[in-house]
Amino acid sequence: MKPRIVAVLQKEFIHIWRDPYSLLIVFLFPMMMILLYGYAITFDIKYIPLAILDQDRSPASQQLVEKLTSSNYFRITARLQDRRAIEPGFLHRRMSAVLVIPPDFDRRLTSRPETSVQLIMDGANANTAMIAMNYLKSFLTRTTLELNQGLLATPLEIEPRIWYNPDLKSTHFVVPGLIAILMMMICAMLTSLTISRERETGTLEQIFVSPIRPVEIIIGKVAPYILLAFLDAMAILGFSHWVFGVPIRGSLALLVFFMLIYIYASLSLGVFISSRTRTQQAALFAAMLGTLLPSVLLSGFVFPIASMPRVLQWVTYIVPAKYFLIQARGVMLKGVGFDYLYLPTVFLLIFGTLLLAVSVKRFKTNLEG
Amino acid sequence: MRRVLHIIRKEFIQIRRDRTMRALILLVPIIQIWVLGYVISSEVKHVSTVICDLDRTSTSRALIERLSHTVYLNVRYHEERESLVGEYLDAGRAMIAVVLPAGLEKNLQTLQPSRIQLLVDGQDANTANVALGHIAGILEAYLTDRVRSQSAAALLSEEIHLLTPVVQVWYNPNLKLSDFMIPGIVVFLLTMITTLVSAMGLVREREIGTLEQLLVAPIKKHELLIGKIIPFALLGLFEMGLAIGFARLWYHIPIVGNLGLYLLLSIIFLFTTLGLGLLVSAFSHTQQQAMFMSWFILIFVLLMSGFLFPIENMPRLAQWLTYLNPMRYFILITRELFIKGAGLRHLYIQGLILCLFGALIFTFSVLRFQKRLK
Repeated sequence: MKPRIVAVLQKEFIHIWRDPYSLLIVFLFPMMMILLYGYAITFDIKYIPLAILDQDRSPASQQLVEKLTSSNYFRITARLQDRRAIEPGFLHRRMSAVLVIPPDFDRRLTSRPETSVQLIMDGANANTAMIAMNYLKSFLTRTTLELNQGLLATPLEIEPRIWYNPDLKSTHFVVPGLIAILMMMICAMLTSLTISRERETGTLEQIFVSPIRPVEIIIGKVAPYILLAFLDAMAILGFSHWVFGVPIRGSLALLVFFMLIYIYASLSLGVFISSRTRTQQAALFAAMLGTLLPSVLLSGFVFPIASMPRVLQWVTYIVPAKYFLIQARGVMLKGVGFDYLYLPTVFLLIFGTLLLAVSVKRFKTNLEG
Repeated sequence: MRRVLHIIRKEFIQIRRDRTMRALILLVPIIQIWVLGYVISSEVKHVSTVICDLDRTSTSRALIERLSHTVYLNVRYHEERESLVGEYLDAGRAMIAVVLPAGLEKNLQTLQPSRIQLLVDGQDANTANVALGHIAGILEAYLTDRVRSQSAAALLSEEIHLLTPVVQVWYNPNLKLSDFMIPGIVVFLLTMITTLVSAMGLVREREIGTLEQLLVAPIKKHELLIGKIIPFALLGLFEMGLAIGFARLWYHIPIVGNLGLYLLLSIIFLFTTLGLGLLVSAFSHTQQQAMFMSWFILIFVLLMSGFLFPIENMPRLAQWLTYLNPMRYFILITRELFIKGAGLRHLYIQGLILCLFGALIFTFSVLRFQKRLK
């Protein structure tokens, strides 16, 4: 039995080696992503382009504008003369918001009980518009409190203490997700592609008529990818730890154990997909829909599950990456132990075993039929 | 020309024969728009929260009431002992712990500063930031209302002067994030499908050995290329139409601009993506390689396009790099045209840049591919 498995193993290793491109990408891709997240990508919104339509032109209005731009939330990109300039300004993307200071602003501010300024937002980018609006509102509240010092309440100060990721670095959040996605890609996508390639080029039948049992074929084809996924995960961990200071606060041994469980679940998914598809192209699409997209979108990798609609939240319960992410983040960022993380482990084991059983059965019928 | 048509027919027959492919062609765009639409354009909501009220006054209860009645937070737990709130974060049951300090009401009444302590699970920096912003907004609104009700008398006596905003939002009055994100998803879909399909389609023929048969057939190389490329372009446009139609029906996204202009600009954009796919196929031997390389390129094209992460906030060097990304221009075109109804005179610069990219990439990849065929 042993030499037969070794033969399949050898053959698969040769396949992988023959294709240095894919190998290179598997290792280069996560590193580039970490670099990108570490250096280029931020969710912060700063320097929102703002236009001023000052119909008052008084010291008071100038002071207001100056105070507004002293923070780095806004930068003034245009000074408009009248309201007709607003629409072309939005369409040519010269600004995202306009602050309209009414005539008589100066006088009203000290004589009337209430003075209004107008904010006109380009709502196309809802995110930026929301942040700009919130900031402008709170700016005006603060200005009001300052204007009436000693008469109104003092602001409520918020004292946030950030745990696990005190500098709010997105790299720390993304690295466990990258490991989850990469392992899923190698274990589920590559294995399903390699099996369906054999089928497409007709070599699978040759293997089937040879005296190897289906289980041996599967193990032999799958083992090299386990090794590859594991090496890749270690490379990502090392790179992100030493270059970007991503912590591993808990036990490394526990993390490795979780990786092995996750590899098992992803492999089963890959084998399951290949047992149901005929061509590489179909396997590719199925793998994308069944493994890659859910791992990116529905795992909590960057998009929080709590914000999703109920139906999608249910779907996330069958996404293996979700469970691995809870485990990996728990160990790496929170530093908690197995007593907090046994449930996802149990689930991944059940998930993997079920899928594997179904697909091995399917392969057997294929072989006999 | 007849020979080109034959190749095109062959491609369509191949697609029709493959049952899985046929289903996927219809399902992929709809599932992507459907799922991505919800996932990407959902605002940060229902952040699991635990509250520890050490004040227990009508003020602190009023604040808790406000924190509980917002969609942004989901106040699931009330903890009496301050020392235990951290446990909720460790166990992953809550992402935010709010501690209302003792003496809060007294401080507010005597105009003393008061501090509200927040414990935040910072792993997801974006959600943490947004949730913090919302909590700050809720507290601020509480304060403003309090000021208003308490100073009603003072207001009349003209001792107090309030400065208030009047907000007008154009184009997207309800600030629906989906209106902004879903046009981006349509662009991503078009880019992904055309690049992947053209990258893998040609390699597939080589891998299963039918490319040689085609090469010895009485057909010129450029005819073969055109015949292979046109179905990919048509497929891409079909998928795009399907995606836009579905997005319009399901998410009610606005399409204010001229769709004819959009089709024209899309076709220009397709030269870039099809060229890219062709280039990838010229460099790969197996479909797996082609797929890997395409994904590798696509992810960067996606992340550096302004689709998810605003370009203006990237460091200078990264911003310059995005100018080399054709998807950056097409994302902008799509959003401006769909949401704001921008016309050619607002978008011609982007259109010209896309023409240039398309011509360069397409010519280069065709030359490269023909060399490869020989």
